[in-house]
Amino acid sequence: MFDLKKYRKKSPWILHYNAGSCNGCDIEILAALGPKYDLERFGVVNTGNPKQSDVFLVTGPVTFRSRERLVELYTQMPEPKVVIAFGSCTCTGGVFRDMYNVEDGIDRYIPVDVYVPGCAASPELLIDGVVKALEILERKTKEMEKPFKLFKEATTRDGITNRRNMALKVGEKDEED
Amino acid sequence: MIEILLILLAPIIGGFIYGFERKVRARMQNRQGPPLLQPFYDTFKLLDKQTFIVNPYHSVLGVAHFFTLWAVVAFVILGQNLLYVVFLHLLASIFLILAGFSVKSVYSHVGANRELMAMIAYEPILIMLSVGFFMLNGSFEISAIRQNSPFLLSLFLLFLAFLMVIPIKLKKSPFDATEAHQEIVGGVEVEFSGVFFEFLYMAKWLEYVFVYLLLFLFAGDSVALGLALGVGVFLLVNLVDNSTARVRIDHLIKIVLSVGLTLGVLNLIGLSYV
Repeated sequence: MFDLKKYRKKSPWILHYNAGSCNGCDIEILAALGPKYDLERFGVVNTGNPKQSDVFLVTGPVTFRSRERLVELYTQMPEPKVVIAFGSCTCTGGVFRDMYNVEDGIDRYIPVDVYVPGCAASPELLIDGVVKALEILERKTKEMEKPFKLFKEATTRDGITNRRNMALKVGEKDEED
Repeated sequence: MIEILLILLAPIIGGFIYGFERKVRARMQNRQGPPLLQPFYDTFKLLDKQTFIVNPYHSVLGVAHFFTLWAVVAFVILGQNLLYVVFLHLLASIFLILAGFSVKSVYSHVGANRELMAMIAYEPILIMLSVGFFMLNGSFEISAIRQNSPFLLSLFLLFLAFLMVIPIKLKKSPFDATEAHQEIVGGVEVEFSGVFFEFLYMAKWLEYVFVYLLLFLFAGDSVALGLALGVGVFLLVNLVDNSTARVRIDHLIKIVLSVGLTLGVLNLIGLSYV
């Protein structure tokens, strides 16, 4: 049985979402997909559809209006998936930090795997970021959706599986580590 | 024996055509392009993805679309009735349209609507094509068509009309309003994910095989002419795809019905006087 996991690396489909960006980073992304850098030689396709993508590429500092769409798009993507925060604004809020209409980066709403700083981040940085994200993507599994942190192993005694007292208290596992 | 092998391998052959086409298109844009096996990498990846099922009918209709198309390709390879093949192909498209209408997504509905409109445009030409073959051949059987001398000259106007159908079927510019990525996000395929999207993805490959097999019929018994036609049309379609912008769906119908239908009718009238 061949390993399907290695093919994740070879066909990352990107969902690009502009969470209130100034368009500088978006132009760099389009430049990376164009003839000079040609991301498509790694199998990258810019799908506009969350249900068929693997890599969630976000630009922009997350304006107040775009935060719900951001979370919705994230939840609509099937596992395994990775999130790349592209540009300084997306990582920290950048020059827009602490403004009344800005939520200071996407990691307040969704988990981020790769941060790519830069204003605007260049296509070379995007390629580096995607390559890094693909390493993370290969390690991910569908099991990641399970809330493993809150569960102990089921105990088995005399052939009977005991599932009582499996749930941990919040923070109990962290204390063991 | 070779027919059964061809039928079983039809999706894989289509995948190679699709991969090669992506390569050619990239070279035309002065890019390196993805590897030849890229479509297969995509399918292997999709096998491993989580699947969201919006409703069961939606997913089943997508699978039905794939297997009906496979049956269409099988009937063409086996040399069955051409008219029957055209109508079975219509059924495959209708499965896809029903799938598009079975979910709530607006993009899916718009895509299914456009698919229906495109069908109005290309279906008369496909039927006239089979009528043209019937008038020259006295039979709708594809196996009989394959034993005749090339039809390219006597069906030249219908061949030109068929050239307009190819971009619609393969979702290529200027006639790709039915799919229209970045505008309606793929149309009917928008709600498919994981394994079920894979069936739609492979159905696209079968569409390639179907179109190029129909193209082969123009060459009759001459394999060399068929191969030349295949390569020539392949390059032409990709060149046009790279150099034109998308036309709106109502313009698509106007262009294809006015030009294509006229060419087809002229050809059929001409044939009836010969």
